[in-house]
Amino acid sequence: MADFIQQIVVGLGSGAIYASLALALVLIYRFTGIVNFAQGELAMFSAYIAWTFLDAGVPFWIALPITLAISFVGGMLIERIVIRPVEGAPELTIVIVTVGLFIFVNAAAGWIWSFLIKDFPNPFPDGALRAGGVSVGYSTLGVLAVVGVVMGLLYLLFRHTKIGLGMRAVATNPESARLVGIRVGWVLALGWGLAATVGAVSGIMVAPLLFLEPNMMGGVLIYAFAAATLGGMDSPVGAVVGGLIVGVAETLAGAYVDVIGSDLKVGVPLAIILVVLLLRPQGLFGKAAVERA
Amino acid sequence: MSEAIETREKSTAPASGPRPARSWLRFLEPRGHWVWIALAIALILPFQLVPFRVFQLTMVLVYAVALLGLNLLVGHGGQISLGHGAFFAVGAYTAAIMMDRWDTPYPWTLPVAAAVTFVLGLALGVPAARLHGLYLALVTLAIAIFLVPLLKRFEDVTGGSMGLTLSKPQPPSWTGLAEDQWLYFLALAVAVAAFALVAGLLRSRVGRALHALRDNEIAAEVMGVRLAFYKTLAFAWSALLAGAAGCVYTWVIGFVSPDSFTVNLSITLLAGIVVGGLGSQAGPVLGGLFVMFVPSFAQDINQGAPGVIFGLLIIVVMYVAPTGLAGLAGRAVRSFDRTLRKE
Amino acid sequence: MKDTAGEFLVVEDLHAGYGDATVLHGVNLTVARGEVCAILGPNGAGKTTLLRALSGMVKGRGAIRLDGADLLGRSPDAVARLGVAHVPEGRGTFMPLTVEENLRLGAFTRRDRAAIEEDLERVYGYFPVLKQRLKQPAGSLSGGEQQMVALGRALMLRPRVLLLDEPSLGLAPLVTRELFGIVQAINEQERTTVVVVEQNAHLALGIAQCAHVLETGRIVLSGTADEIQADEQVAQSYLGYRV
Repeated sequence: MADFIQQIVVGLGSGAIYASLALALVLIYRFTGIVNFAQGELAMFSAYIAWTFLDAGVPFWIALPITLAISFVGGMLIERIVIRPVEGAPELTIVIVTVGLFIFVNAAAGWIWSFLIKDFPNPFPDGALRAGGVSVGYSTLGVLAVVGVVMGLLYLLFRHTKIGLGMRAVATNPESARLVGIRVGWVLALGWGLAATVGAVSGIMVAPLLFLEPNMMGGVLIYAFAAATLGGMDSPVGAVVGGLIVGVAETLAGAYVDVIGSDLKVGVPLAIILVVLLLRPQGLFGKAAVERA
Repeated sequence: MSEAIETREKSTAPASGPRPARSWLRFLEPRGHWVWIALAIALILPFQLVPFRVFQLTMVLVYAVALLGLNLLVGHGGQISLGHGAFFAVGAYTAAIMMDRWDTPYPWTLPVAAAVTFVLGLALGVPAARLHGLYLALVTLAIAIFLVPLLKRFEDVTGGSMGLTLSKPQPPSWTGLAEDQWLYFLALAVAVAAFALVAGLLRSRVGRALHALRDNEIAAEVMGVRLAFYKTLAFAWSALLAGAAGCVYTWVIGFVSPDSFTVNLSITLLAGIVVGGLGSQAGPVLGGLFVMFVPSFAQDINQGAPGVIFGLLIIVVMYVAPTGLAGLAGRAVRSFDRTLRKE
Repeated sequence: MKDTAGEFLVVEDLHAGYGDATVLHGVNLTVARGEVCAILGPNGAGKTTLLRALSGMVKGRGAIRLDGADLLGRSPDAVARLGVAHVPEGRGTFMPLTVEENLRLGAFTRRDRAAIEEDLERVYGYFPVLKQRLKQPAGSLSGGEQQMVALGRALMLRPRVLLLDEPSLGLAPLVTRELFGIVQAINEQERTTVVVVEQNAHLALGIAQCAHVLETGRIVLSGTADEIQADEQVAQSYLGYRV
């Protein structure tokens, strides 16, 4: 029993990571109807920016806000420069452009920082809380807390600020939003900026656990997709719940289903994506149907 | 709605026009003489180049066959696959396992690899047909990622991480060819057959249905195109071509391992067809040249350079020339043709 | 710049459309400050396109001036910031957002917080039923109530010009009459200039001072509401009876 609970705790820990990247995916999807295949790579790039500051001796809690700010501006610039020209183009075109961005960012990080693995310091202390045979690592708690805080901040932004209201208006009816005087283009850029910031948080949390290298987020991305699909592509709450479920499901499947084992765990997100899309395409919390005709 | 249908009818009109008598040669059109020139060059080249270059050109042909399949799906069917490397891998492993376990003569591996990937494509095509746009991209990406650990798992058959090493097909003595030249001609034969197959497919009902779907799914459905059927079929044919390419890959390289078929292969293939030219006849060949040669040149600058170039080019191509290199080349060829005719 | 009451909103030689399809072929019209002006015409005449051109949703050639300021070529959000509130066909409701959020979005470009609160109360004055539904998702409201939300949202801009596209569409006659009564009240109390596109010419002429008849992208008749109402041809074509 203790072992089972222990596995769930571990699953929640990785689930929180998936949730953070899924949140970033959902933010962009809500505003633009785009699934950003480069989201994981942008997160990885942000982690490298943080690493550069840390490597130069900047304390973590100063490097973090600087990295987040750079990521925010970077995300906005990418929307303005890369995505803007294909706004309103067929889905196929936009997906291909974000795949191009994926390849570019991945290779650019390798070019700038080399493809060698780098050590990334863990902002959370070592050690763990122990209770009844179950131990919960401080870093697991830390990751869960960070995701909780990000979620809370996003809630405050969307529910209690004017810009948040404007962003929701754009997400639900861009044409009408334009008619009440909202600069829709800037809101879309803002959405990308926010997503890049949330993604940066994700990348900085992943880096100490997986080692920092350009392909770091490749594995996480598919779990984040599964989380977002399960929760509903347009639901931030769904992304977090979906992430936690995917994390727990993956860990339990790896631990208790012999056929799967630790090596085939990556089949779990594939199975989740397929089942959700075929049975309940809008996901658990999503409103929009899959096909945006 | 009615507007959409009208536009569709206009664009199908040329396809249903009168056909020339020698219809089996139609795949050489338009501008058939350029295809003959290309074919002639392709036949001479292996006698003029060093073995390493011949090998590279062989790989270009292998990629071209896979890109033909991807072009059928993406360029003509308007569906996205980020997992075509998986079909490539299945084709490669089918051939490798047959040769490794049962000592099957290599020519037999091609039809089997094609059949296996066709059936696999059909099986995956059924759910795929129900998925729209980016969700299909997601699922195919997940499949490509899942395949690598799957190949490693079934070690007894696949050789696990170590892979399988095989002996390459040897040229029959009557040909007098060297090994690299023989492999080249094998790949060329498969490529020509694949081009003819695709050209035939595109002229058939399947091709017209695919174009109708790509241009306007709803209108096509209203007009009675059986959406799910043709989408599934496109997926299966596309998988078959990728599988055939994988099979030839095994012949040429003589070695397969899971790490040759990571998700990077799938993404590279997509990059190749986008840059080569979506929906164009020459796109797969140009894409194959691109996928083969750009990395080897760019690698000298930096390990990251090929990716940077690929990524940038994909984005730029989608902005300025959605028909890729083939579209640009097509423009050049047309203006050249015009100058010729004036003389 | 001339700023006479008769030339508050001026459209000159306006050509506009979608892509290659030009819908408006040289429209000329003026609306005086504080007037309600009806745009009449058959389906496909370009009435909606005209409103969309006025609010910047479709691009065009020619000139559109509001109180001397050029509107043509500006984006819809820039036009809105100049005080043009467009209630689009289909009402433009932000479905999942609450009624209150929908109304507050109307004041998105304004900075005067205190006045915004006052204006909210004023909107509830016109539409008491909305006050009971403040926290409901706007999408759950009836068609008539959604049209009220749309009107209220437009009022929250403190518009200089209100553009209404087919406000009666899909509504019961009784509800429509009530709505037009409120539009008239708004016009009288706020001195807001109103341009209303309407299939139901009789209803529109009932509250309008001036009217323009649009046919296949051209103005074929302009005049006061009474003149238009008295015109035999218009009566036959759009009012459904002979004078």
